[in-house]
Amino acid sequence: MSILQLVANGLVLGAVYALVTLGFVLVVNATGAVNFAHGDLVMAGGYAAILFGSWIKLPLLLLLPLVALAMFVLGVLVCCVAYFPLMKRPPSTVFISTLLTGIILQNTYVVAIGPEVKAGPPLLQGSNLPLGPVVLSPQAIATVMVAALLIGGQYLLFFRTPLGRQLRAVAQDREMAMAIGIPAFRLIAITFGLGAALAGVAGAVLSNQFFVSPTGGVSLSIYGYIAVVIGGWGSIFGAVAGAVIIALFQVVASAFVPYTVATGGLYVALLVILFFRPQGLFGERIQRRV
Amino acid sequence: MVKHSISTSAVVGLGLLAAVPVAARAADVYLPIVVPVTGFMSVAGGSQRNGAVMAAQNAPSGLKVEAPVFDTGTSASGAATALDKALSDKPALAASASVFGTETVAMVPVSADYKVPLLTISGLSKLTESGNKYVFRFLPNDREIKVAHARYVVDTLKAKKIALIGDTTAYGQGGYNLLKEIFEKLGDKPVLAESVEPDAKDMSAVIAKIKDAGADVLVIHGVDQPMALLMKQSRAAGLNIPIVDSSSIVEPTATALFEPTELKNTCAETASAPETRPTPEIAAWADAYKKQFNEEPDSLALGQYDAVMMTMSVIAAGAKTADEVANALNTTTYKGVAMTYKSNGKGDMSHNAEIVCWDGTSRIPKVVATYSDADMILK
Amino acid sequence: MSVSSAGYEQRGAPTLLAQPLRWLGHGVNLPLALGALAFAVYAGRAGAYELRLLSVAGAYAILVIGYQFIFSYAGAASLAQSCFFGLGAYMTGVLGATYGFGSEITLPLSILAPGLLAAAVAGAVLRLEDHYFSLATLAITLLVTLVVTQWLSVTGGTNGLSGIPSFSLFGQTVASRYDTMLLVWGFVVAAALLALLILRGLYGRAFHLMRQSRPVASALGLDTARMRFSAFVLSGCYGGLAGALTAHVTHVISPEQVGLPLMITCLTMTVIGGRMSIAGGILGALLITHLQEQFRFLEYYAFIAYGVATLTFLVLVPNGIVGSLEAIRNRLLPTTADPIAEPTVAPALDSHFADQGETLLEVDGVSKAFGGIQALSDVGLALRRGEIVGLIGPNGSGKTTLINIISGLYDSDAGRLTFAGHDISRLAAFRIARLGMMRTFQHIHLVDEMSVLDNIALGWAGVGGAGLRQAFRAFGRNDSLKQARDYALTAARALGVDHCLADPCGALPYGTRRRVEVARALIAAPKLLLLDEPAAGLNEEEQRDLAQRIKAIAATGTAVLVVEHNLVFLAALAERLVCLDQGRVIAAGLPTEVRADLKVIEAYLGTAA
Repeated sequence: MSILQLVANGLVLGAVYALVTLGFVLVVNATGAVNFAHGDLVMAGGYAAILFGSWIKLPLLLLLPLVALAMFVLGVLVCCVAYFPLMKRPPSTVFISTLLTGIILQNTYVVAIGPEVKAGPPLLQGSNLPLGPVVLSPQAIATVMVAALLIGGQYLLFFRTPLGRQLRAVAQDREMAMAIGIPAFRLIAITFGLGAALAGVAGAVLSNQFFVSPTGGVSLSIYGYIAVVIGGWGSIFGAVAGAVIIALFQVVASAFVPYTVATGGLYVALLVILFFRPQGLFGERIQRRV
Repeated sequence: MVKHSISTSAVVGLGLLAAVPVAARAADVYLPIVVPVTGFMSVAGGSQRNGAVMAAQNAPSGLKVEAPVFDTGTSASGAATALDKALSDKPALAASASVFGTETVAMVPVSADYKVPLLTISGLSKLTESGNKYVFRFLPNDREIKVAHARYVVDTLKAKKIALIGDTTAYGQGGYNLLKEIFEKLGDKPVLAESVEPDAKDMSAVIAKIKDAGADVLVIHGVDQPMALLMKQSRAAGLNIPIVDSSSIVEPTATALFEPTELKNTCAETASAPETRPTPEIAAWADAYKKQFNEEPDSLALGQYDAVMMTMSVIAAGAKTADEVANALNTTTYKGVAMTYKSNGKGDMSHNAEIVCWDGTSRIPKVVATYSDADMILK
Repeated sequence: MSVSSAGYEQRGAPTLLAQPLRWLGHGVNLPLALGALAFAVYAGRAGAYELRLLSVAGAYAILVIGYQFIFSYAGAASLAQSCFFGLGAYMTGVLGATYGFGSEITLPLSILAPGLLAAAVAGAVLRLEDHYFSLATLAITLLVTLVVTQWLSVTGGTNGLSGIPSFSLFGQTVASRYDTMLLVWGFVVAAALLALLILRGLYGRAFHLMRQSRPVASALGLDTARMRFSAFVLSGCYGGLAGALTAHVTHVISPEQVGLPLMITCLTMTVIGGRMSIAGGILGALLITHLQEQFRFLEYYAFIAYGVATLTFLVLVPNGIVGSLEAIRNRLLPTTADPIAEPTVAPALDSHFADQGETLLEVDGVSKAFGGIQALSDVGLALRRGEIVGLIGPNGSGKTTLINIISGLYDSDAGRLTFAGHDISRLAAFRIARLGMMRTFQHIHLVDEMSVLDNIALGWAGVGGAGLRQAFRAFGRNDSLKQARDYALTAARALGVDHCLADPCGALPYGTRRRVEVARALIAAPKLLLLDEPAAGLNEEEQRDLAQRIKAIAATGTAVLVVEHNLVFLAALAERLVCLDQGRVIAAGLPTEVRADLKVIEAYLGTAA
């Protein structure tokens, strides 16, 4: 397998991770809260894809909007349960509440669906397509395109629409935003909903290639966290870049060293980045204002 | 020393305890089931539980058996605590113990404390290799079954360049190391030997290495998720060499992850494969299991069933204390549903294995080779 | 132990019974004592399984108490606590099971190893903020888990280690479950007492301020980096002890006890019991350990119930059980402070340096840019002993930036600063404070739940050397706190807040809070006092009063640099003015001159008059 094929596969995985991270950084931006249940929401999307796929006989690509909608509702619910009641507390409390929400979600999956690993329906059926020096399945190509579409859509929403401006205002300074009449609570709920919707789509997209399991989301939450820190706290572009970097690292590095060494190397690399550039690769260093 | 009294555990000084319903009906025999009902081993634990419960309901006449279930939670400390709770409630003659090696290892000292034999189906070799006389396993010792696994690859498939892939779970590490050792002893050292993380998603790197090494057979030992991913992605990447898996892939929940065509040219080792219904006894048992639990049985359920059935049979034959049960288990030969069980003196009761293969038309494989006793020992 | 209890010591000889009775009436000590009694009764009659559970809970209690140092007190959400636990457990496991060493060797090593790891990574990790810190500690936990899982030959890999021997000291083994339980809880008591010793005095209180605002704490002379370091290392040592004890109790250790699941449990126990309370930590450990067992009979639904119950608890009971008990108690029976006797020695505000008229502070050619904006360009000024100088200028002229540079919170890009003969251009804020420079801030940072007296006393913590070593030396006699309170009384008198010494600062009116803050800056008898907009938010009468007090302070020899907008306030106060505009000094000299200076008028009004 050529190095180009490895990179191509890494980019496909990177697209999936980017989708996961996108929703994660959205919530971080709007609330400053690290939602450690995010990975579990990704799994929820995967389960939704499986359920909808068994009820409605359409290719998953067409079912994605339905998954997104259902997940939006779930996101708002999580916000109301795990975030709003604890908004005024220290951020570590919200961290814990999202951890607990994650535990509740994971075990709900077991009770509702079962503890075993499951494969979701494919985005698109079809055999591999040669694209020059690399070979990709239609599934993989569709994955990358869905990711690119949603990342672009996210950017447009945030920087080109009034809703996006309001969301950014709430993220920057909630009290000030409320003072000028922006309905912060509603917007925060919308942010959680959007984040969950993105997570759900990510889960649906990865459900066939990479399976769905009750605890499969935990490592995704960790990768999202790492991606956001590497890329620069609060930067959407940085988070996406961080996600792609992690995926490429996983795929390409483990071609040369044992997989476990590559994983360890990722953590060491993270610590090194934090040591030399604590604001992340693309973030800005903020002086404490006194 | 540990007291065997029924404790006054319903009252906690800080008033925390919820009322625990204690079904204290008089039973002749107390055989608690201490398995992972929750946690990532809950599929296997569930099979164990089902098998044990089914056996307890089919007790030989005259025997009233109480077999409550205690959840270990797929954690070593949880397992030790759960067994502790089970054995401190009332005197047990034996206990069904977790299939998860890490948990079983933690449970062994507890069982030694209470002097109660453990009935397990974990393959982890060291359980019966540390001189403990309270462990009885009813699926083959990993060491033995990996010999069967390796022999099929070397003797039958005549592999010259073996690629061996494991994972870093307890199950994966154990089998992987044994296979490496056995292949070397058979004179067929793998050209590639590596482990992946159980939550690894993309296997391109490993597949590239397998291709580069020019492997002619892919041997995999690990839990279902990474192994299934590896198999699927290998085939998608055009790697069509024979694959010989460990038994985790034989689980119906694992084969459900594949389209039947994706399983072509794949085989696996297993102690028994009740879902293939190879004999009339197994078929009858499998049908009864399916009727009761609404799912296809696996070798774990069958193994645990036979374990509890054998124990109850030695009790019916006169063993009255835990010690007597242990002695009887060590000296009796028992014809179970899956196979005949006989201890090798160290608590390994099962010495049969088979290789099953899929032909691409169905998710249910066929038995292509069987191994027993001496075939599974390597000097 | 809570922040809100005043706990003043009574001077005078108490009767033998009066002291324990008073202790019982304090805070929630009575229910806790009853709880401990009930616990003892239960433990005495417990069966084998309950004893084991109690031992495990005890080890977790130690884990949580240790975690409180870094999480609750230092305010840093470390995710490495389970890693420290695991290290200690594996240390004991490997040395005990594989090499047969007794606990006299394995226990100290199990405590030391995680402490060393914490110390080794602290430098890199502790200077990170919040989320970065959490992630860095998580990365360390994941790395250690990886190493433990892979180093099969030593650690047994994913299957873990079994056959770990019971606790043994020079050949004497603690074998029975009952004895083991006693041993573990003996350690719990020792660990709790040690924590009390460290945290109950001035040092422990200083953490509250540091948590609120690290810059403010630094500017008052607290070495916040070292405080966080100590807290982190302590959490590591406690974690290691907990791990070692658990290994002795359960005789097995596996990688799952190094990683996230245990970390989540630790977090839950800390939050449920009560973050700041050692008793709360113990309670949380007991409660969660037993609850987890109780819920097991629900099988699949167990964890859902656990998650829902804990989440509900988190929402409804924010300060944990003990914290809420204290709040209820304070509502029902408000604490009355014992009257404070006159300090036998009222330390005078001594200004420990030489001559009148000597230049105390010299700022020369200081420049500072933020991103593309030049905040200060070539700024210079000088202060003499006992002078009151006003720093004025329109918004955005760089006044606060200059103050921040002088006090050491920012570094200048160019220029030189000298204070009391020392070059402080690159000196850390807390060191500058200890040289004799104290300041106030635009936004007042007081610890709301603490009393006025204690808040003022915090100003002495850094200068007076409150720290771990001092806490150990005092051995519970609270010398540093008593001394600081004595000095605080003097400072309170100087600012006229000695009428409300026992009141928590959160309830005070703004003007009083401002005076408390100035008193805090004054307590250590600084050579130089920097006041950043002290008059903002005060009414006219309060302003006059404050101006008078500042004059009185300066009269004792303390130099004062006041940043202000309010020229009326400064009129009565300042001997000289320095005016900044857009980062440059545009006028300096006598107030009348500067006020009449055209450039100053233009700067304020925007156009030439």
